[in-house]
Amino acid sequence: MNFLIQLLGELRKLFGRRRTYMGYVVFLVMEAIILTVFKLPASQRSMRELIERNGLGFTEYYSSLTVTYWIMGFSMFLLGSIYFALVAGDIVAKESEDGNLRLVLARPVSRLRILLLKYSAVSLYTVSFVIFVGITGYAMAVMALGWDGGLFIWNFKMKVFSAFPRDEGFARIAMSSIGIGLSMITLSSIAFMFSCFKMKPAAATIVALSILFVDMVLQEFPFFKPYEQYFITWRMSNWVYLLENNISWAKLAGSYAFLFGLNATLFLIGYTVFRLRDFKT
Amino acid sequence: MLSVTGLYKSFGGKPALQDVSFKVEPGEIHGLLGHNGAGKSTSLGIILGMVEPDRGEALIGGVSVQKDHAGALRQVGAIFESPAFYEYLSGWENLRILASYSGRFDEKEARHVVAQVGLTTRIRSKVGSYSHGMRQRLALAQALLPEPKVLLLDEPTDGLDPEGIKWFRDFILGLRKERGITVLFNSHLLAEVEQMCDRVTILQEGRLVYEGTLQSLRDEAPVYEVALEPWNDARTFLELNGVKVLSPGKIALPAELDPAIIVAALVGSGIRVSAFAPVRRSLEDLYLEITSKPSKEQALPFLPLP
Repeated sequence: MNFLIQLLGELRKLFGRRRTYMGYVVFLVMEAIILTVFKLPASQRSMRELIERNGLGFTEYYSSLTVTYWIMGFSMFLLGSIYFALVAGDIVAKESEDGNLRLVLARPVSRLRILLLKYSAVSLYTVSFVIFVGITGYAMAVMALGWDGGLFIWNFKMKVFSAFPRDEGFARIAMSSIGIGLSMITLSSIAFMFSCFKMKPAAATIVALSILFVDMVLQEFPFFKPYEQYFITWRMSNWVYLLENNISWAKLAGSYAFLFGLNATLFLIGYTVFRLRDFKT
Repeated sequence: MLSVTGLYKSFGGKPALQDVSFKVEPGEIHGLLGHNGAGKSTSLGIILGMVEPDRGEALIGGVSVQKDHAGALRQVGAIFESPAFYEYLSGWENLRILASYSGRFDEKEARHVVAQVGLTTRIRSKVGSYSHGMRQRLALAQALLPEPKVLLLDEPTDGLDPEGIKWFRDFILGLRKERGITVLFNSHLLAEVEQMCDRVTILQEGRLVYEGTLQSLRDEAPVYEVALEPWNDARTFLELNGVKVLSPGKIALPAELDPAIIVAALVGSGIRVSAFAPVRRSLEDLYLEITSKPSKEQALPFLPLP
């Protein structure tokens, strides 16, 4: 019960800051831009080619669900990651820099609990942010394209090609938004770990993003192709398997176990450093 | 109520505390004094579990901060110089969040404390709009929630105007009177310490140089204003007898030396004594006397008579 009350306080701090909402605003703007682009004849032409080349009807699969998939699948890694790293990089380092942490540390609460609270808050933020993008993206797409139509998935990199009728498509999109959220917790965990170090909040954010992008770039090198399963971003992309016709639960479980283990390791490193730190004026 | 024993701490190989031990008795207001870098904040950090000592231990109400952090800190409220609150939240929200880390937030108790510190009308405003004095009052309110047995005050009156300082002093003295609260008070404002504290601990370069009451500090080396002629002969005579000459016309006697004996000896040596009167020294005088000496001489401010 105490943990929940403290977690509510932590969330109040997190959502009380204006910068926490920056990502929400940017994504709303981006969703509006993507929808505008999707309405352009040139853009529709290329989508028509892609859908019809695969033997599907354009009018059936050029839909709000397909657009939602494009919004979530292609923007979250590049744009969403900035906000996850920003919030998670801030969560400890900013309080340490501002001096708020001293008031907390003067309380009868262990450092492990303080970090667990902050980590839980960051994880909730990450998952809820992805769900927010999914909901608003879908809502805007419905306003632009209507309810009807199935879900068309074509992901060259992860070799996923599938098409679903509307109801199943909706369920798959809902599942995949949770999948993306869980995957993105890994990025938040990297930023969180650095936030526990004695460094500026901006440095924690930048280092976490650098690791993500380096991992992403290296993964594209042909030399590393046989080792792709060892790359964090490849594992993080495994949520796409939720959109396969027949979901490979074993593959998904393997990837999420990998990410969970990595997250736990990152948390432990962060905790160890934080535990050993002296906090003085 | 609070004690530290054999504290050692170094940062990057540089010693910050060396064998520091002192005690604060229940209901006592205890001053922790020292120059910048003397080890005051490190000591407070160790007492609050924010700094891990290399050796030694801090006990609060008999509970070791190093072994049972939560158990020890449950009895403590702390205020820091320039307390950093969550500026974008209201004072009330700050209190609620900070008190939740102590396990409970009692609204009735919180309202009472807020009224006590005189923040009732502004408690729902964002802390970002508070003046320095209001922040210190809020700091005091959060330190009092839930009801602590010990208050640790780190430069609490720094930056306050004289009115604010007086309010703060009266409030702390009132708390001690009403609740018998124990206070460890770290401040540069020696006049404040003198008015509030029952006992003081003085640190210099990470070592303890004095622990005791102000009166015993005065008694340890009473200072006299003297008019002696011829001065040079008198000075030589005094120094030979272990009396410290602070300045022409001002001397410090070792506590065990009776001033009447010195006066008689001076007269017997042909020195004319036209004035020999005790001087009441302020804490500032005493503090400067102690801390202006090399720290290795500490604890024994004056050499005994041969």
